[in-house]
Amino acid sequence: MSLRAAVLRHIRLPVQTLPAIGSRPQSQLSFLRLFSSHDDHLTKEEVIDRVLDVVKSFPKVEPSQVTPDVHFQKDLGLDSLDNVEIVMALEEEFKLEIPDKEADKIDSCNLAIEYIYNHPMAG
Amino acid sequence: MNGATTAAYLARRAAQKERVRILYRRALKDTLNWAVHRHLFYQDASDLREKFEANKHVEDLDTIDKMIAAGEATYDKWRHPDPYIVPWAPGGSKFTRNPVPPSGIEIVNKGLEDP
Repeated sequence: MSLRAAVLRHIRLPVQTLPAIGSRPQSQLSFLRLFSSHDDHLTKEEVIDRVLDVVKSFPKVEPSQVTPDVHFQKDLGLDSLDNVEIVMALEEEFKLEIPDKEADKIDSCNLAIEYIYNHPMAG
Repeated sequence: MNGATTAAYLARRAAQKERVRILYRRALKDTLNWAVHRHLFYQDASDLREKFEANKHVEDLDTIDKMIAAGEATYDKWRHPDPYIVPWAPGGSKFTRNPVPPSGIEIVNKGLEDP
């Protein structure tokens, strides 16, 4: 018994005081479950993170060069057909249906983030 | 080979490029509709990409027009009869499922008849 207590005392981790929950409002919001889908839109940061992830996982792109205001054809050196593929990947990621004319105009990360953030049905 | 960079030539080329992009987008979506399993889709998508890349260097406007018309005919022939459309988009299953009621209508007493 005392051996068990000695072993436990040996491996017991020191307790750290956690920071106050109200000090980081962003994490507090992430605990909120919104049961109605009426006004839960994506936050801008979520949109930016997911868009950048999609662009970075494109095989012809160097992940280190991707920033939120990168232009697909000028900065990343992609083709116009690659542009089409990226827009399709974004459509799949956010479960959107972008009309052809609009999809043609999405040329850079900026435009993509703006469009997706302002879309009411971005999932 | 007259007017290599006149405005009309460039405008026609730009219009052709836009047609090519839209055709590629539709063909890719169609490929995704037909190829149910993802690994088949990747294979078919790279085949499609290669078909487009093979004709990338063509310069003559009329040849390009003919190729685009042929490509669009092929796309029309291969269109999927039941494409996947996102539910809330026109043609999807959830489109106009719960339309917004017209303004000016007031629901009195939660719709119950007895006061």
